[in-house]
Amino acid sequence: MTHTKKGAGALMGHLVLGYPTLQESIRTAEKYVEGGVEILELQIPFSHPTADGPVITAACREAVEQQRVSMQDCLEALQTIRQRFPDQEIMVMSYVNRVYAFGPRRFAEAMERLNIRHLIIPDLPVDDAQALAITRHANIKLVPVLAANATDARLEKLLAAGFDFYYLMSDFKITGSTFSLHPRLQKVIGQIKQTAPEARVGIGFGISTPEQVQMVYAAADVAIIGSALIRAQEAGGLETYLSSVGSA
Amino acid sequence: MTPTQTAYKDLIFQSEGYFGAYGGCFVPEVLLPGLQEIAAAFDEAKTDPSFLDQFHDTLHTFSGRPTAFTPLPRLTEEIGGARLFLKNEGLNHTGAHKITHCIGQILLAQRLGKRRIIAETGAGQHGYATAAVCARFGLDCTVYMGKKDYERQRPNVYWMELLGAKVVAVEDGTQTLNDAVIAAFKDWVEHPESYYLLGSAVGPHPYPAMNTFFQKVVGEEIRSQCLEAAGRLPDYCVACVGGGSNAMGMFYDFLDDEDVRLIGVEAGGRGTRPGEHAAKVLHGQLGIFEGYHSYFLQDGDGNIASTHSVSAGLDYCGVSPILAYLADEGRVQFETASDEAALAAVQRLARVEGLIPALESAHAFAHAFELAATLPKDQVVVINASGRGEKDLFITMRHFQEESLVAYAQHLLK
Repeated sequence: MTHTKKGAGALMGHLVLGYPTLQESIRTAEKYVEGGVEILELQIPFSHPTADGPVITAACREAVEQQRVSMQDCLEALQTIRQRFPDQEIMVMSYVNRVYAFGPRRFAEAMERLNIRHLIIPDLPVDDAQALAITRHANIKLVPVLAANATDARLEKLLAAGFDFYYLMSDFKITGSTFSLHPRLQKVIGQIKQTAPEARVGIGFGISTPEQVQMVYAAADVAIIGSALIRAQEAGGLETYLSSVGSA
Repeated sequence: MTPTQTAYKDLIFQSEGYFGAYGGCFVPEVLLPGLQEIAAAFDEAKTDPSFLDQFHDTLHTFSGRPTAFTPLPRLTEEIGGARLFLKNEGLNHTGAHKITHCIGQILLAQRLGKRRIIAETGAGQHGYATAAVCARFGLDCTVYMGKKDYERQRPNVYWMELLGAKVVAVEDGTQTLNDAVIAAFKDWVEHPESYYLLGSAVGPHPYPAMNTFFQKVVGEEIRSQCLEAAGRLPDYCVACVGGGSNAMGMFYDFLDDEDVRLIGVEAGGRGTRPGEHAAKVLHGQLGIFEGYHSYFLQDGDGNIASTHSVSAGLDYCGVSPILAYLADEGRVQFETASDEAALAAVQRLARVEGLIPALESAHAFAHAFELAATLPKDQVVVINASGRGEKDLFITMRHFQEESLVAYAQHLLK
């Protein structure tokens, strides 16, 4: 597994499995890796992605309603991507109802077989009993998705629980908004790094330009791009876009 | 009355948001501080005499509580079974029970020093009531409404705008209540300093318990009014169920009276196939969505299904986790009424008793009429008329008098 070099920023690229088709989403994942994306964030689409902005919501809707992508299709796509890139770091993102419907334990075991170590489930508080039902039976960690309003007490509790990747929202935004870095994030990052120096911190929501990627690398370990990649793909300029943000 | 073995009433407010396995607080971390702030303020307020005085005073002076408890002698005679009574929540200011939890929550928002209110609405009744209390207490108000609901409940959009609220038509998804809830949550992510005034007994903790707490005045009034009018407690309480706020308002006070049977009536729509109805308890599966664990209409793979009901207020994919728990416990029984049956009930109540219920409430009447016919004459059935029917003018008129509606529309356009 290629872990991020400390001190040098890593790029995490998000895509929706099944968008625009299942096969094309697999090819897109390949293009991401070939274009220098160090962590793949693969979203299992849900009909109602409550934390996503219009671009990712539309992609999820297309995958669910038009492409009719099932959980089984997604697991097979993940298997294909894993076989193609045995050492690639992959995080899987979805919403809690998809995991709950599939069965938390069954889902965790499927992830473990795919050598996937991190799950991002934004509408599942990482210390809820339902979260424990996922992580209890497999070598898998949830990724807390935090914003600048995370209280000190909450951060202390999460840090004590030993999470090793923290996903920070750049600002009070939904995905795909204009980019800004909330001034209090620096304090949140400082608290994480002080208690858990080995934990990685990623920042996402609204990142699109190489300059913004640079700003994120100056503050954290990983820059997470989602909507901007979908827009680049839709405009037919994915490779060019990847090389621009990849050289940041 | 003999006390029951399970004290449901205590359990609901002592449960920290869990009702059996249901409820919870399944939201992104960014929303947790705001929800915890509201939950803590509610915990304090619910036993603060000055808060409760202000709440009940506002219910009385602004909304007109207590609402009437009305015998239905002609329908009772016509049906020939149990004695029928209705609780007329439609007499509240803004036309439905919704204003009761809006008054409770706006006082809480004020207590927290909030300046801006966000709300979602389905039929428009919750949005209309929210807009009214925001105007009354001088707070900024933004209401999200699915575009389909925006179009079919246009009168309520107009009232909200007249009251100074900004109404946003949500074009995502099926453009109904579900999509409005998601849009409201997204607004709250972007404006965490705002107060989200959620309008049913659904959503993350503390909304299910909090809205039940504010709405329970309905059942408390029914208890004393029924004893006075019928000389006994109801044998049956019947309420429609969309999210569950009017049903929980009616049922709560009777939960530990085991002889009072509680019936929730879901929207049977136009059939039992997926997408044709909104009957969550009867046809849904367990899931976790929009902040809570309960029954949801969904496909077998965890995607939320589309719903249908002639009444916008029932056209929603989920149901209160408190009702899901009470359904599993067998304390609340669930039935359905179809679109056609609800429309017929509106007409029957209008012709025979001079009352026009909202299409949502008409579902409860449709079932109660069937039920009453099977019961002896000494039994008492109380129906919650959660709202009045004026808001449905263009829907019911199209059904009953389409030519007149078209002629009127043409006249207006001249």
